[in-house]
Order: sequence, then structure tokens, then C-alpha cells
Amino acid sequence: MACGVEPGLGRASALAIAPELCLVDRAPSLEHAALIDIASWAGRFTPAVSLDPPNTVLLEVEACLRLFGGLAPLGRQITRQIEELGFHARLAFAQTALAARWLARFGTGDDVGKPLAERLDRLPLRALAEGTPVGSDNLDLLTGTGHATLGEVRRLPRHGLARRHAQAVTDAIDRAYGHVPDPRSWFSPPERYLSRLPLPTPSGQADTLLFATRRLLAGLAGWLDARQAGVERFTLVLEFERNSQVPETSVEIVLGVLSRDMVRCQLLAREHLNRLPLPAAVDALRLAADLPCPLAPSAGELFEGDDEHRGDAGLLVATLRARLGDQAVRCLTPHPDHRPEKAWRWIEPPVPGPVHTRSTPIPLPPSPRPLWLLPEPRAIPAPQPWSLLAGPERIESGWWDGPEATVGRDYFVARTQDGCLAWVFRERGAPHGWYLHGYFA
Amino acid sequence: MAAPASVASPLDHLVWRGDQLATPVLPGRPTGHAALDAALPGGGWPPAALTELLLPRNGVGELGLLLPQLAAVPSGRWAACIAPPGLPYAPALAAAGVPLDRLLIVQAESSAHARWAARQALDSRSCEVVLLWLAEADMGALRRLQLAAEESGTPLILLRPESAAHQPSPAVLRLALTPCRGGVGIRILKRRGPQLAAALALQLPWPGEGSRPDGDTAPSPATAALQPPSSPGKHALVRPLPARSTPSGLHTRAQ
Repeated sequence: MACGVEPGLGRASALAIAPELCLVDRAPSLEHAALIDIASWAGRFTPAVSLDPPNTVLLEVEACLRLFGGLAPLGRQITRQIEELGFHARLAFAQTALAARWLARFGTGDDVGKPLAERLDRLPLRALAEGTPVGSDNLDLLTGTGHATLGEVRRLPRHGLARRHAQAVTDAIDRAYGHVPDPRSWFSPPERYLSRLPLPTPSGQADTLLFATRRLLAGLAGWLDARQAGVERFTLVLEFERNSQVPETSVEIVLGVLSRDMVRCQLLAREHLNRLPLPAAVDALRLAADLPCPLAPSAGELFEGDDEHRGDAGLLVATLRARLGDQAVRCLTPHPDHRPEKAWRWIEPPVPGPVHTRSTPIPLPPSPRPLWLLPEPRAIPAPQPWSLLAGPERIESGWWDGPEATVGRDYFVARTQDGCLAWVFRERGAPHGWYLHGYFA
Repeated sequence: MAAPASVASPLDHLVWRGDQLATPVLPGRPTGHAALDAALPGGGWPPAALTELLLPRNGVGELGLLLPQLAAVPSGRWAACIAPPGLPYAPALAAAGVPLDRLLIVQAESSAHARWAARQALDSRSCEVVLLWLAEADMGALRRLQLAAEESGTPLILLRPESAAHQPSPAVLRLALTPCRGGVGIRILKRRGPQLAAALALQLPWPGEGSRPDGDTAPSPATAALQPPSSPGKHALVRPLPARSTPSGLHTRAQ
């Protein structure tokens, strides 16, 4: 613009004025995808959303004005939140869909309280072609007869217009002014959330990726709000630069519980992205989520109470796992086996929710077991007889797992030289070696 | 000039005199051992602070000392064990009444990871108690952990090697554990109160029947010979059947 390039200029003339100009082809499919993104997100404001391609999303907000505190607060919320999504929007409120579209495109935005006819009358003539079948020949006709605004066109005799093949003009005006109904088909948000965000420049910085992820998550939040649903996990796909020959990387982010809390999503996404090695610069990000489950919004406490002090147990597990890995954060459970080293198992940390009690408790060994078990029995010299305090307990089991896993041992409780209680055993097999296997501590 | 009693008495709990135990604002969490409770300001573990246990080696009785804390975790909360140096043995913990599905074991590759995990566990406020095994830590790291524990209102129990006893520490309570006949010996290195000259000897409960085999009332050491005894008392014995010429299995009786 500063060089003098203006809308309507030809490609060659534009390049002649500004040779360094970077020309980008329009991609109608991307525009449509963006429109669907916005429409899915807009479901958080009203269930009645309608697409009006190529560049408009219509929201029927009459029913929810009270919830958001009136037109002006609602408008401010939409403008602010759509910027988080990465779009700039022009908003207009009107009683009919077509009028809202025209006012958003050509209106000045300072006349919300006035009657609809008065606001529309001031619009320029070319608004007529926006979202209607009015053709350029109709506009030429009206311009030729010296009309410049909708108000003037509205006052023209309808029969005359119809006779001059300008029926579309009267139809459009009737719809905009609310003289005839203008039904729209409602947009239903997709079953599976899928959004792609190309980065302005390929980047290998986790911060940039996080910023882009935040935008994608804002869209996901709207989609979930519209469905009154939450997800347990979502997938973030990193597309690398095309010439780097690196296949795209997919990160599954598990939230730990059903949630649509975007703060939690951002927190976990940050942990995952910080940990992820980036073999090449990232070109675009994709976010996919499916299987939304109904999730009622949590009832807020009337008085800010206990909630703050009781943390979120699922979030802790999800955060730790995001950085340390799934294998590093687990719970223990006993396992019914006589062999001490096989009498326990790792299990997944239980998810918070209804407590499911095990139907049959696992039988525990009748004799005392040490609180610490050594991962591998450690060979020790034969202890003095007086240091063996209790025992023996014979454990002989495991033949079905092959000779390596078979144990034949006599276990004793022994006092070590510094006075601790240890769990030692003597092999029943040929060398009769002594081993230390745990501490009662 | 005598201090006006009316002013002094309401402020008493804010002033800690060196010759008495401090009375903290929050009462301590009972340790489950009456002798130890009596020696600690507040009558238990500091509920929102860093406590240090110094161990000559692992397995001197630290888990036995902390078992009452681990067993008292309500559902929906965690007891976090961060970077334990060994394997806490599930059957023994279950037998001691520890709800294992509330015991979160976190393994960390480095001490930085362990400290980070401890911070997360504290900040999440979803832990009843956080146990952290840390071999090396500088004063700054400990100070940050102490502040995190204070802010979150969660007790953080730090288990460190005995060699750290000479380093300064921001912990409000430092205990050195020693192995001891029948339980664990505790020397209080630092508390909000006067120095305790004598070490405490706590009797730890024995998980099996009867009394602890090395306790004062224990019978004389088992004189079980090193030779395998002829009739072992308790044993688990699962052996294959001797090989037979006929196929054996579920249908032997039917044949």
C-alpha cells in the first residue's frame, strides 16, 4: 500500500510498482476451512450458527443476549476471542441475516441502536451484490439511473424494476429489510475436530509452536463448548518443511481426565513440545480430536471454598508423564505369586472417578515381607548363625517359567552388622549361596 | 519494667523462646509414634514445610517411620514417592495398610528431574505427602523446595544421605536416622526448640505375628541350623509332579 499498490491493480502493474512484492494465490479451500473453524468455534456463543460463504458466519444471538449481558458485551467477547483464534472479524448486529452481512461489510458500526431501515438506507449500492444473486448488469442499470444508496433503490417502483429484469434487486431488498423470511440452514459442527495451522515461517522453536498450538486449542475449546463435551486426549501433528524429507510427527497428549479446560491442555502441550526433538523446522501444525464425551460444566462453589486446596490428582499424573514418560510414573500392586520378585506389578495410576473396588482382594503372603526389595538378590558371605532372627521360610516355586525363573530358597530375617533387619535367603540348589534380598525398614 | 501481660499473652504464639518448643500456627501431622510427636514442635511432621531425613544408607527404617503417613492418604489424593533409590515392595506395603492405588511412584533420570517432579507434586496440591530422595542439592534448590512446600501447604519429606548433615539447610526439621535394635534411632539435628541431647529410639511395628524379632522382648535368635531344617514351619512349595509314563493331568482320576 505504501508503494502505491492498490486493490484492483493487475499483477503486472503491481509488480512494476513494487518488484519485491510477494504474490500469494488465493486458496478457496483454505478459506472455507477457516470459515468452518470459525463456525465450530462460534458454537460456544449460540447453538444457531450458519455459514454464509465465502466470508461470513451468521450467529443467531437473540436467545442468548441475556446470558452474555447484551449486545455490546457479547460483541466485545466475540472480537477478543476470535483474535485468540488468529482471525480478525468485522461484526455487525441486525435483525435480518442479510442486513447483518451488508452492515458488517459496508456499515460504519456506529448506528446499532437505530431502526434497521435507516441503517440500511445509507449503504452504498454495491452492497446489493453481497451474498445475493444480484448481478453486475443490475448494478450497472441502477448506477446508470443515478442511484447511489440502498435507500434510493428501495423507493423505486417495484414493477418498473421487475420489468427491467431486476427482480433479484427487489428480492434482496425484501430479505434484507425483513419483508420476506430468509431461512438459513444451520451449521452442524463436525464430529471430529480437525484443524490445521500453517506457520507464517517454518520454525524450530518450541515457543513458536506453543503459540500456534494455543490458537489451535482456542478452536478446540469452542468446538467442545458447542457440544458441551470434553475430550480425554488429542493429537498434535507436526508437519515439517517439505524439502527436509522428514515425515510428520504425531504427539498424543493425554489429559488424564475428561476435560475441556484449555489451561490444562496448554500446560500439557508445552511439556510435550519441550520434550520433543525437532529434526527440522516445522511448517504447519494440525490438531485432531475425536470421541468427545458429554461433560457438564463443573458447578462453581457459591463460596470459594475447598476447591482451591484440593488439587487435581489426574492433572499431576498427566503433567509428570508428559515430561518424564509414561514408564516413569506408575503405581504398585501386589501380585499373587510366591516368588518375591514376581509378587508385585506396575500398574497405571487409577483415574479419578467412581472408586471401583477389586472384587477379590489379592492374598498377601502370611509371613512378614520387607519394605524395600533389592531389584536383584545380592550375594553375601554366609551370616553367623546368631544373626538369623527368624525363619526359615521355604519358597520353592516357579518351575513352569523355566529353570531361570525357578526359585528354591530358605528365607531368614537377619540382623546386619549395623543393626538393621534384612531379608536374606540361602539357595537350596547346589552351591547353597547366601543372598541379601531386602530390608525391613 | 514488667511487660504488660495483656499484650504479651495474645502474642505468645508468635514469639518463640529458645528454651521451649515453638508452637507453630498449624499443628503438626501426628507421626504415629508418640515419642517422636512429643519431641517435635507442633506435635508431628510440619504440615507445610520441608523436613529432612538423613540416612546413613537406604533401608535403616525410613519407610517404617513414614508408613503411618503413607497409610493415611484419602482417596482422590496422592502420596508421591519421587526417585526412590530401590523398589518399595508392594506386598509389604499392602500388608501395612498403605493404599497402593494412592501411592504414586515417580522415577526420575536425574536429580533435576526429581526436583521438578517434586515441585509439580507440591504445586498441584493433590498430594497428601511428598517423599523426595535426593542425593545432591544446593542451598538454592532446597530453598525453592521449602518455599513450594510452604505455599502449597503440603509436607515435603526429603531423604538425603548422612553426608549432607554438615551442609546448611532451610528445612525446619532435620532428623538423622540410625539403625537401632527394634526400630530406628533418631537424632534431632534441627528443630524449632532447644537441642535434644539424647537420641530417640523408636520401636517400629513388626509386620508379622508376634513381636519384632530383634526387639527387647524378642525371643533369643532362632537357632535354626544353617542346614535346611527337617520340618520348615511356613513354606510355599509348588513342585512338578514326578514324571510318569502315563499321561498325567486333569484326567488321571478318570482313567
